[in-house]
Amino acid sequence: MKGFMAAFFVWTLISPNGDGGQAWPTHTVCEDGSLKVLYQSCDPLQDFGLSVEQCSKYLKPNLNIRFGIILREDIKELFLDVNLLTKGASILSYSYAVCEEDLPKFSFCGRRKGEQIYYAGPANNLGFEIPEGEYQVLLKLYNEKHSIVACANATVISS
Amino acid sequence: MAPPVSCFLFVVLFSASCKVITSLDKNCTEKEANKTYNCENLGLRGIPDTLPNTTEVLEFGFNFLPTIQVTTFSRLIDLIFLDLTRCQINWVHENTFQSHHQLNTIVLTGNPLIFMAETSLNGPTSLKHLFLIQTGLSNLQFIPVHNLENLESLYLGSNHISSIKLPVNFPTQNLKVLDFQNNAIHYLSTQDVNSLKQATNLSLNCNGNNIKDIEPGAFHSKVFQSLKFGGTFDLSVILKGLQNSTTQSLWLGTYEDTDKRDLTSDMLAGLCDMSVESINLQKHHFSNLSATTFRCFTRLQELDLTETHLRELPSGIEGMNSVKKLVLNVNNFDQLCQINAASFPTLTDLYIKGNLKKLDLGVGCLEKLENLQRLDLSHSNIETSDCCNLPLKNLSHLQYLNLSYNMPIGLRSEAFKECPKLQLLDLAFTHLHVKAPQRPFQSLSRLQALNLSHCLLNTSNQHLLQGLLDLRYLNLQGNRFQDGSISKTNLLQTVGSLEILILSSCELLSVDQEAFHSLGKMRHIDLSHNSLTGNGISALSHLKGTYLNLAANSIRIIPPHLLPILSQQNTINLSHNPLDCTCSNIHFITWYKENLHKLEGSEETVCANPPSLTGVKLSEVKLSCGITAVGIFFLVVFSFLLTILLIFSVKFLLRWKYQHI
Repeated sequence: MKGFMAAFFVWTLISPNGDGGQAWPTHTVCEDGSLKVLYQSCDPLQDFGLSVEQCSKYLKPNLNIRFGIILREDIKELFLDVNLLTKGASILSYSYAVCEEDLPKFSFCGRRKGEQIYYAGPANNLGFEIPEGEYQVLLKLYNEKHSIVACANATVISS
Repeated sequence: MAPPVSCFLFVVLFSASCKVITSLDKNCTEKEANKTYNCENLGLRGIPDTLPNTTEVLEFGFNFLPTIQVTTFSRLIDLIFLDLTRCQINWVHENTFQSHHQLNTIVLTGNPLIFMAETSLNGPTSLKHLFLIQTGLSNLQFIPVHNLENLESLYLGSNHISSIKLPVNFPTQNLKVLDFQNNAIHYLSTQDVNSLKQATNLSLNCNGNNIKDIEPGAFHSKVFQSLKFGGTFDLSVILKGLQNSTTQSLWLGTYEDTDKRDLTSDMLAGLCDMSVESINLQKHHFSNLSATTFRCFTRLQELDLTETHLRELPSGIEGMNSVKKLVLNVNNFDQLCQINAASFPTLTDLYIKGNLKKLDLGVGCLEKLENLQRLDLSHSNIETSDCCNLPLKNLSHLQYLNLSYNMPIGLRSEAFKECPKLQLLDLAFTHLHVKAPQRPFQSLSRLQALNLSHCLLNTSNQHLLQGLLDLRYLNLQGNRFQDGSISKTNLLQTVGSLEILILSSCELLSVDQEAFHSLGKMRHIDLSHNSLTGNGISALSHLKGTYLNLAANSIRIIPPHLLPILSQQNTINLSHNPLDCTCSNIHFITWYKENLHKLEGSEETVCANPPSLTGVKLSEVKLSCGITAVGIFFLVVFSFLLTILLIFSVKFLLRWKYQHI
């Protein structure tokens, strides 16, 4: 019986995780006195890394970000969908073209499936103040075939 | 000793059972039977036995193949395309592809290659495309050259390459694409460029390399199809370095995240000493923009100034007489006249898409562009109450006009009189104000395609589409009709030449039986995403051989007398309808199974009723209506009993009769 238990234990350790049951860890983008931003990858295939240079509820325009990911799709065309929710109700939906065939805005546009990307630079965002409260943000990066490049469930807590 | 052994046995047993389960889940996806398979992200350590020997296209990325060798793919001798992206390949051993004579593309992107054997790419008789992106390459000698004579494209992006110089024995005679994106190339010497001299019509991509110097004369009398130096800090280095070269297209744009220097006319002087047909300068800033800035652009045919922070183009630019295509997307013009169009008299294509400010079209701003054929003014915050004769004055050769995604625009009768040769007009997502009997498209007798989707049209105006004698494509998606119904008399009656009609998402509840009677040439009709019922089909009785999309409607039952109408069409999509799978719809269900070859989206064509069959594909429903087996049994028993009764009563009657004789 002991041997069986040991074997079972070893098996649970070496066997791969059950499909679908695994969730990526929640990461902290930034945290300071008035603002806390957390995110979790919602792409079942992989996690990604993101951090923001400065963290304040008075969001600066053109914030510097750092971003690291492995591409699972070509990104000749890349689009970002942002969905902002508070208390379960959607308050803002927004779509932004990051890379287009006739306007590759960033130097990583046009890179290929399988490449590892590290981007450190401006995010080209607007500056604004984040009102107090807790927000859920769903971010999706996808290409022209609507294949997911990255997906994040983020929580923004402004106090 | 015994416990560890049993423990080991258990582990083996459990892992085996685990393996069985995983191999069951982890199947490749078949994209084309026996030919195309996707096995990505499955953690495979080899080619699965389930793949047929006839596989031609194999996407095998994101698996685990530390070593690939002669045995790895030996079974799949018909391979044409092999994608091994990010398979953690370290070693490509001798003769890996020796039996793959047809192999044309090998993708090795994102593998930490340690060594490729001298004969590792031997075998394919015509290897055309090789991807070695982000494989840790720092020396081009790494690539085995033995079987690259037929190579057309070589992708070497995101490596540690510092010189584009190909090894002496590297065959370049068929090379058309050489991609060095995001490497560490800072200097181009004459020797470097000379190593490419056998290649003709080469496209060389050096984006993201920040070239700091080019040896004078390095490109002397060299000819390229395209050259890309995107993201270079100082453009004057490039333009000086390209002296005496000839190239079709030169991409010198920059990016949001790249350091750049403002462009001056001195920096662009190098353009005077080279021959270029098309140039892209996206996202640069011009300092002191004046007519002289463009003094070396005289031989240019295409100029792309997307997002170059322009408020106006200087007036009096001279010598731009050969420019045919001008792209001014995502700039800051207030008024169309600020582009000073008179400087470009030979222009055939003009793009002012996505202007960042509200763009005022003005009067006759483009009237000097007599040869203009294509004009794109979409996404530019245009708002006007009277379009488009004044702004489009004198554009008599215009064939393509895009005004989609703008603010509300008012159109009156003959709104496009100035451009009678228009063939394609796109007004999608621009709110159009057209007062009732006005005929805005009158005089567009050559128009072939009109996109009016989501224009919030007043569809009760019977004259709206009058004058469109040659219209073949009409998109009315997302417009509403009075009472959700297209009546007998409607705006489509004046467009008899129509071949393709899109009426999806129009909130339609019904279509009159004779609504489409004047449309005899139709070959494609899209009525999806409405609330039509089976009776809507009667409006199509006179049409034959069309593509008919009725997806996402409210069709439950299709009565038998309408089935011949469906039979005479080519392709029909009935997916996402609440179809009835009871005996009241048996004729349709029988018809459906007999005509499966005509049906599109049959995976999503499922029953909604009865509850027991909800979600079942219509093609798999088995109904037996009429008399059932039980019914037949009772009928037989009943008639048998009746016969016995009859016999007995006759017997009784006869006996009674004889007894009383």
